[in-house]
Amino acid sequence: MKNFKMHKLYIAMLATGIGMFSTNTIAVPFIQCPGDNFLSDGVTPGSNGVPEVVDPNVKCLHLSAGDGFATMADGRELYIFSFGDITGSDEANAIDDGIMFANLPAPTIVLEQGQEVYLSLTNVGMVLRPDLSDAHTVHFHGFPNASAIFDGLPDTAISINLGSTMTYYYNLAQPGTFMYHCHVEASEHMQMGMLGNLYVKAAQNKLPDGTNLNGFIHNAGNEYVYNDGDGSTFYDVEYPIQLTGMDPDFHDANETVQPLPFANMKDKYPLINGRGYPDTVIAGPLPAPVKNGGLVTQTQDSNITAVQGQKILLRVSSLSVTRFYSLKSLGLDMQVVGMGAKPLRTAADTANPYTTNTITLGGGEAIDVIIDTTGVAPGKYFLYTSNLNNLSNNTEDFGGMMTEIEITL
Amino acid sequence: MYSLSKVFKRASLIVLFLGCTPGANAAIQGVTGTPDGTGVTFNLTTSTSNIPTPDGNSVRMWGYGVAGSPMQYPGPTLIIDQGTQVTVNLTNTNIPMKVSMLFPGQEGVSATGGTAGQFTQESSSVLGDTVTYTFTAANPGTYTYYSGTQPGLQIEMGLMGAIIVRSGTADQAYNDPSTQYDREYLFVLSEVDPKVHQDVEFGLLPMINNTVSHSTFWFMNGRLGPDTFFPDNSSFLPNQPYGSLAQMHPGERVLIRVVGGGREGHPLHLHGNNINVFARDGRLMSSNGVSADLAVSDYTIQALPGATYDGIWEWTGEQLGWDIYGTNAGGQTHDCNDVAPVDGFDDVTSEYCADHDVEIPVVLPEKQETAFGGFYSGSPFLGALSDLPPGEGGLNLNGGLFFMWHSHNERELTNDDIYPGGMMTMMIIEPHSAVIDPGNP
Repeated sequence: MKNFKMHKLYIAMLATGIGMFSTNTIAVPFIQCPGDNFLSDGVTPGSNGVPEVVDPNVKCLHLSAGDGFATMADGRELYIFSFGDITGSDEANAIDDGIMFANLPAPTIVLEQGQEVYLSLTNVGMVLRPDLSDAHTVHFHGFPNASAIFDGLPDTAISINLGSTMTYYYNLAQPGTFMYHCHVEASEHMQMGMLGNLYVKAAQNKLPDGTNLNGFIHNAGNEYVYNDGDGSTFYDVEYPIQLTGMDPDFHDANETVQPLPFANMKDKYPLINGRGYPDTVIAGPLPAPVKNGGLVTQTQDSNITAVQGQKILLRVSSLSVTRFYSLKSLGLDMQVVGMGAKPLRTAADTANPYTTNTITLGGGEAIDVIIDTTGVAPGKYFLYTSNLNNLSNNTEDFGGMMTEIEITL
Repeated sequence: MYSLSKVFKRASLIVLFLGCTPGANAAIQGVTGTPDGTGVTFNLTTSTSNIPTPDGNSVRMWGYGVAGSPMQYPGPTLIIDQGTQVTVNLTNTNIPMKVSMLFPGQEGVSATGGTAGQFTQESSSVLGDTVTYTFTAANPGTYTYYSGTQPGLQIEMGLMGAIIVRSGTADQAYNDPSTQYDREYLFVLSEVDPKVHQDVEFGLLPMINNTVSHSTFWFMNGRLGPDTFFPDNSSFLPNQPYGSLAQMHPGERVLIRVVGGGREGHPLHLHGNNINVFARDGRLMSSNGVSADLAVSDYTIQALPGATYDGIWEWTGEQLGWDIYGTNAGGQTHDCNDVAPVDGFDDVTSEYCADHDVEIPVVLPEKQETAFGGFYSGSPFLGALSDLPPGEGGLNLNGGLFFMWHSHNERELTNDDIYPGGMMTMMIIEPHSAVIDPGNP
C-alpha cells in the first residue's frame, strides 16, 4: 500500500524540480490504446490504457519511467531508475502513480505472437534528482526488422521528455525471448536499473486441440517456446531469469549527485530478476523499500517450482552492463532449445538442441533452456553463477546470483 | 545531459561525415601485397606512435604498418585470395622489445630470419633484422594475426590485425552459395588499459603487471566512438585508418566479419535485426564440410578474444505493420511493385508490399515533448526528411534509418570514464535512391 503522505511530498519535490529545470508544463498523458475510450469509471471520456472494446489481438501497456529504490539481499536499499507498470491509471493519475515507482526488475512484459502492442511510456521524472531532466525510451531488444522510430535509441530517433508520453507500436510477427531497457545514456540508465524481461509466446500454442504436429499431438493448453512444428520445444511451466548486477558505489554517487564511476564500475550485487539470494526464492513480491514511500516494486521472483515429470522452460537473458556470466544447474541437465529469439534447428528444419549444465551470456544475450524433470528425484536444486565470486551480496560472501529449483511429487 | 550526437557535433567535423568523399567506407580497407612471382609479399614494420582518444587524451601504442607508411591500429588488414602463397617480411623499427607475428587458422606457416622465440622467429629493433613468414592461404574466411612475443603485453599495446582470405567466387565469403553478399564490413574489437601504455611510454616495462589489467577504452577497428563514424583514412586519425560506419539498402545481404582482437570478450549487439552467423575462425559452421547447415541466428554475437565470426545481416522492415516509407496520403508517394519473382517485396526497393500504404498506427509526440537524436531525420519514414527544431538532427542526409551496433556490456560505451564513446558504430539503412558507394551503388 502506498504511504500517501510520503508520496505527496515527492510530488511536491518533483514539481519544484520541473519548475526550475523545464520549460514544459506537465501535460495530461496521451495514452494511445485502440478501443479505450473512457476513464476507469467507464463513463467519463478519456483513456486509461484499458480498452472497453476488447480486441484479442491488441495489447496495451502503460509504463512509467522514473526513480525509486530497491532492496538488496543484505537489506541495503539502493537508489534506482526504472520503469513501473501503470497500465489502467487514469490520465489524471498516471504521473502521480508513476512517481517513485521504479521497479526492479522493470515489469515483466509477456506478449503473444500476432498481437499489436501499444506501449505508452510516461516520463514521470526523478524525484531525488530534480537536476536531471533526462529523457527516457523503451528499447525492445532483439525486435526483428525494427524501425528506428520505435527502437528506443535516442541518437537515431526521439526520446520522451519529462512529463510527457510516447506510445510505441510493435507488430509481433515472431515469438521468442527478448528483453527491454532504456537506451538513453545507456551506461548510466541501465546500471541504474532500467532493465526488464520481455518475451513473446508462440502462435503454435493456439492451434486447435488434437492438431498433429508431425506425430506430436497438440492438446489445448500446450505451450511451446517456438513454432517448432514437432513439439520439440513443449514445456509445462516457464520462468524468466534475467541476470544483472548493481554497483552500489555507482548508485550512491548518483543519489548524491557525484561524478559517476564508469571506468571502475563493478557489480558487487550480482542479481537474478533484481534480487540476490536468498531473496530470489521469496515467492511473490518483496516487502516495499522504506525509502520509496512504501511502494511494492520488486515483484518478479525466481522461485522455480515444478512437479516431477514436468518440463521447465527458463527464459534466461542477461542485461549485465559489465561482464559475462556463466549460469550452472547442479544436478539437472539443461537442454538449450533457442538463442537470440531463434530456435536451434538444422538446415533440414529438425530440432537441434544441445544439453549442458552451464550456459554463458554477455549483456544482451538470451538463451532458452528446457529442464526435463522426468525421473528427477524430488528435492531442492540450485541454479547459480559459476563465476563463484559473484555468489555474494556485496560484503556478504554467500548469496548473489543464485536461486532454487524445487521439484515435488 | 550527454548525448552522442551532441558530442559528435561538437567535433565540428560534420562535413566529413557520410563521406561525400568517393570511396569512403566503400569496401573493407586493407592491403593486397605485391605479386612476387609465386604469390604475394607483404613488407611490414612495427613502430610506436600515440593515438588520440575522444576524451581529449592520447595513448601510446605499438602497431604494425606497411613498410614506409605509419604504423596503424589495428595493423593493416591483409586481403588475400584463397590458394595464394603468402610471404610476410617483418622488420621491427623502434619497438624496444623483440616482436613477431602469428597467423592462427593458417596452415603450414614457416618462419626464417631473426632469432628464435618461444612461439616463432622474432625481429629485434637493435639488430635491425627481418623475419620472413610464409604460408599458403588455403581456406577462405576471416582471420586474425598478432604478436607471438609476450602477447599479453604486445597485443594490448596494439600488435594485432585482421586477415581476409577471399574465396574463388566473387562476393561469396566461403565456397558455399549461402555466403553470397552484396556488401561487407569488418569490425575488429579490442580494448586498452591506459596504465599499461603509460608504463610503456615512461620506459617502465618491468613494472607492468598483466594480472591486474583494467581496461577503460574499448575500440572498434582501432577507433573509439564517436571517431568510429568518420570515414576511412580520415586525416586527423593518421594511425587509425579504418572507420566502422556501415551503410546498406533494404534487401541487400551484408557480410559482417567480426574479429575478437584483444583479450576480453564483447557481446556485440546488432540493433535492427538478427544476424545469421555461418562461420567461426575462418571455418564454415558445417556438419558436412560443404554447406553452412549449423549456422545460427542471433541478435547478439558473443565475440570472444582471438575468435572470428562471419554472418549475413539483412533488413527490409518486413511485417512492421505500417508502411516504413509512409503513406501516399501523407505525401510519401510511392508504389510497391512485386512482379517477378513474386516474393512479397518490391522488385526494386525491397519494400514489404503487405504493409504498403498502411498508416503508422500511433500519433508521435509533439516536438516540444521529445528530445531528438542527431541522426534523426525528423520523420519515422525511410527516405523522408522533416523539419526539426533549430540545432537538432542534421546528421542524416538521406532520411536513412540508423541502427546502433555496439558492445552490450554497456560500460564499454565509455572512453576512460567519459560517456558516450567506446565500442559502438551505426548501420544506416539508406533509401534505395541514395548512392552509398559510387563503385558499388
